[in-house]
Amino acid sequence: MFTNFHFGLIWGKIEHNMKFSSKKSKLLIGVLVLILVIFLLNIFQKNVRSFFYSVSAPIQKVLWGVGDRVADFFGAIIKINSLKNELDEEKLENQELLSQIVTLRELKKENKVLREALEIELQKEFKLAFAQIIGKDISQDSILIDKGSEDGISENMPVITQQKALVGKISEVYKNLSKVMLISDKKSSFDAKISVSDEEEKDIPGVVKGKGNFKIMFDLVPREEEVSRGEIVSTTALGGVFPKGLLVGQVKEAKKTDVEPFQEIEIESAFDIKNMETIFVITEF
Amino acid sequence: MLKKILFSIILFYFFVLLQTSFLVHFSIWGIIPNFILILVIFWNFFENSKKFLGLHNALIGGFFLDIFSNRIIGFYILILLAIAVFIKLVIKKHVRIPFIEKN
Repeated sequence: MFTNFHFGLIWGKIEHNMKFSSKKSKLLIGVLVLILVIFLLNIFQKNVRSFFYSVSAPIQKVLWGVGDRVADFFGAIIKINSLKNELDEEKLENQELLSQIVTLRELKKENKVLREALEIELQKEFKLAFAQIIGKDISQDSILIDKGSEDGISENMPVITQQKALVGKISEVYKNLSKVMLISDKKSSFDAKISVSDEEEKDIPGVVKGKGNFKIMFDLVPREEEVSRGEIVSTTALGGVFPKGLLVGQVKEAKKTDVEPFQEIEIESAFDIKNMETIFVITEF
Repeated sequence: MLKKILFSIILFYFFVLLQTSFLVHFSIWGIIPNFILILVIFWNFFENSKKFLGLHNALIGGFFLDIFSNRIIGFYILILLAIAVFIKLVIKKHVRIPFIEKN
């Protein structure tokens, strides 16, 4: 009787311990398996990502197109009043620009004649590859396009819009897809210049740096320089990252403080990710 | 259970595609809401604290977020798992909501 009771007590304790430890060990095994799987996924991350990207590319392409159209539709409804004002302003600006175009055409003709006279070869246009945007990265400023190594795309090639506005450069290449690091990415920085539009027509050199979340800054401009809103920022050939003369954006705001040796200039980028559907990759420049 | 997990895999895959391709056009001041994070938080918050599907969902959602971001794989898995476990623990120890207990 006594032994039986004793035995039961011990057995119960063992069973309890076993139950407890089996639950704990299950958890431990689960965590270990998880770590192992994550480790393996990181080793083969290029293949894993490539697989998922190529599987979801067709769906993403459709979603991107639909989103673009829906956002356009609703955006137009919401902004109908301000759009009207904007239209009037644009019309005025358009006329001004038209007159400028006429003078520029004259200059172009003159330039051509002079070049022929001096026998200087015209700058070659770039070789372009056409691509479609299919998605945006979740945390960082980069986008996915539907052309990859099979279409002759390799890393560090510049990416532009139809209007020759700089978008970024290729950062990762897969078989049929590649990732584009936007110029607003925190890792992005390149040489550029501000073309001041006063009578002197001088250029202020500096460095364009990404700040994340579609924001870009123009850095390394001394305090003495006068920079005003709306002036145009374009790339220079310095550094060899991008070809010269690509439009980066317009100056949005220039801040000066007595402490900092350089100005803090915010740039509004020339491209808008919401309205983009197609882009061009410069394969040769 | 297996059916439910399969369902949430499809659900989260759909949501991640929506977020990378569709919602980009509706960003507010450049910010795109992270729907997977919101979904995982809500799921863990309203699930019975004795069930574990919320944790599985955190794992699945984190995996898809990792695949479609530039970071190393495991970053979002860890973050979402930590959030899910935290919510589960807090609810188990400190919160009693009658209508959730019954589920």
